[in-house]
Amino acid sequence: MRPSAAAEVVISGGGWRLPREAIIALLVLLVLWELASRNAAVLGVPAFAIPSLERIAKSLITVTWVDVVVTVARVLGALLCSFALAALIAIWMYCVPRVERYAYPLVRLLMAVPVISWILFAVLWFKHVEFRIGFVLVAVCGPLFLVDMLSSMKGVSKELRDMIHSFRPSTSQLFRKLMLPAILPALLTSWKINLSLAIRVVTIAELVGAVTGMGHQLSVAQELFSVADVFAWTLVLVAVLFALEAVLNQIEARVLRWRV
Amino acid sequence: MSGLRIQAQHLRKQFRQSANGVLITAIEQLDFVIEPGEIVAVVGSTGCGKSSLFDVMIGLQAPTAGRLLIGDREPYRDFNGFRGLIATVFQQDRLMPWRSSLDNVCLPLELIGLAPDEQHRRARGWLERLGLAAFTDAYPHELSGGMRQRVAIARAFVLQPAILLADESFGHLDEVTAAELRETFVALARECGSTAVLITHQLEEAMSVGDRVLVFAKPATVLADIRVADWPAERRGELREAIQLTLQSNRCDERIARLAVQQPADAVIEQLGARDKHEQSDQAIKANGR
Ligand SMILES: Nc1ncnc2c1ncn2[C@@H]1O[C@H](COP(=O)(O)OP(=O)(O)O)[C@@H](O)[C@H]1O
Ligand SMILES: [Mg+2]
Repeated sequence: MRPSAAAEVVISGGGWRLPREAIIALLVLLVLWELASRNAAVLGVPAFAIPSLERIAKSLITVTWVDVVVTVARVLGALLCSFALAALIAIWMYCVPRVERYAYPLVRLLMAVPVISWILFAVLWFKHVEFRIGFVLVAVCGPLFLVDMLSSMKGVSKELRDMIHSFRPSTSQLFRKLMLPAILPALLTSWKINLSLAIRVVTIAELVGAVTGMGHQLSVAQELFSVADVFAWTLVLVAVLFALEAVLNQIEARVLRWRV
Repeated sequence: MSGLRIQAQHLRKQFRQSANGVLITAIEQLDFVIEPGEIVAVVGSTGCGKSSLFDVMIGLQAPTAGRLLIGDREPYRDFNGFRGLIATVFQQDRLMPWRSSLDNVCLPLELIGLAPDEQHRRARGWLERLGLAAFTDAYPHELSGGMRQRVAIARAFVLQPAILLADESFGHLDEVTAAELRETFVALARECGSTAVLITHQLEEAMSVGDRVLVFAKPATVLADIRVADWPAERRGELREAIQLTLQSNRCDERIARLAVQQPADAVIEQLGARDKHEQSDQAIKANGR
């Protein structure tokens, strides 16, 4: 379920500076693309299926930014909701082992449900479009956050827990002074993984009834057989993901500066 | 803050091993009294239950039977009643890697809700006393093992606690650093007037720190209770040998036996009150027959 390979690529591509190899690889890809586009007939593919770089660039100019903003807002909103919900339940499960024993199997069950099923459930159960999209994202990302949080809380060293307990902290002090800072690196990793997952899920969720957003624009482009538009929107999606990743990396560098 | 009395009364601690359910006795039967302001070393071989006693004294573990009293309360039952009274130095420094030295030392003061200015003033003062004035902003990974342990010592003393507990706190450092830190620790503990218990498996360390040395059997009972001052300097070699033999044979060497404190069973039972009287009187009889 966890898109680890994809996450790795994204994480390494998330910095501000691109290494020279990455630039060269991208240029090679562009050149190959352009060659393929000009020789589509030779390859036995209709010309519109591999639009030229120029054609894609023209489509890129016509990208409607309001759709980008709407989609990003949906993703961030849903991730924040998932995170808050997961944090509450994870803390509850951590503090009360019995709750964990009952709830954990259910969480695993939720994690095993395919994304497409969540989308179908959303259509069956809810009318409101925003609610449908939010539901799908929370259903997909919430359990991941929860499992990550719970396992990292359990991974906080007994040594540090005993140390702080010897000073008699209140429960809220325990979480603020020890648990939160101790699991912060894991939380940030969890955010990165969920972000790339959410960006990809939201586009599918937006196919269902939405009249805004990048997913909706992708489906419009497909209905109009505008392949260049499909490519343009895909590029924008990837760029948005990388930009958000870069923001997370900046945050990480700042809050984890104590690390060697 | 002046020290509090620490008292073990028929203290027993057993663990059930999670893998096979076998019951392990870590502390067989402990009876001792440590007076307020005393500095006592506890020495025993590895696995004899020293850390288990440490955990009971901190209040992290409940005794299986008997009682451990600090003042007139039990640290486990009255857990929050001891906020600000107990401070510990563990074997590893146990510093929070995300906090600077200063912020690590502030931690206990944050937990008792002291104003931030006052926290910083006190923490800075203790770091200076421990020779770390230039390292207040350093993170633990930027410090040597000895320096980290100094920060941990500052974190314990910043509370000016009634009870100071150290479990093998200097054993992993090189000898020179360990001796230096031990000396600092004892001097500061005396100055604070805290009751201090230093746990160690090293005889040399035990003999060099304490007013008293408690020698533990395996599982823990007090084999010998030695007042170091009773032994003139020229007989220290003999004392060392006697303790060594005691530790090796798990039986009290005759030369130190006469100094072992024997608590009259009646007095103990009286202190314990009616609770579990039956079982405890059995134990007391056994203890006396030992
Ligand atoms: N939490 C625990 N669960 C099970 N057994 C334990 C636990 N803590 C300690 N023990 C056992 O109790 C005995 C004493 O351990 P410990 O107090 O750590 O000894 P020491 O500190 O003197 O080396 C050992 O046999 C150890 O395996
Ligand atoms: Mg130990």
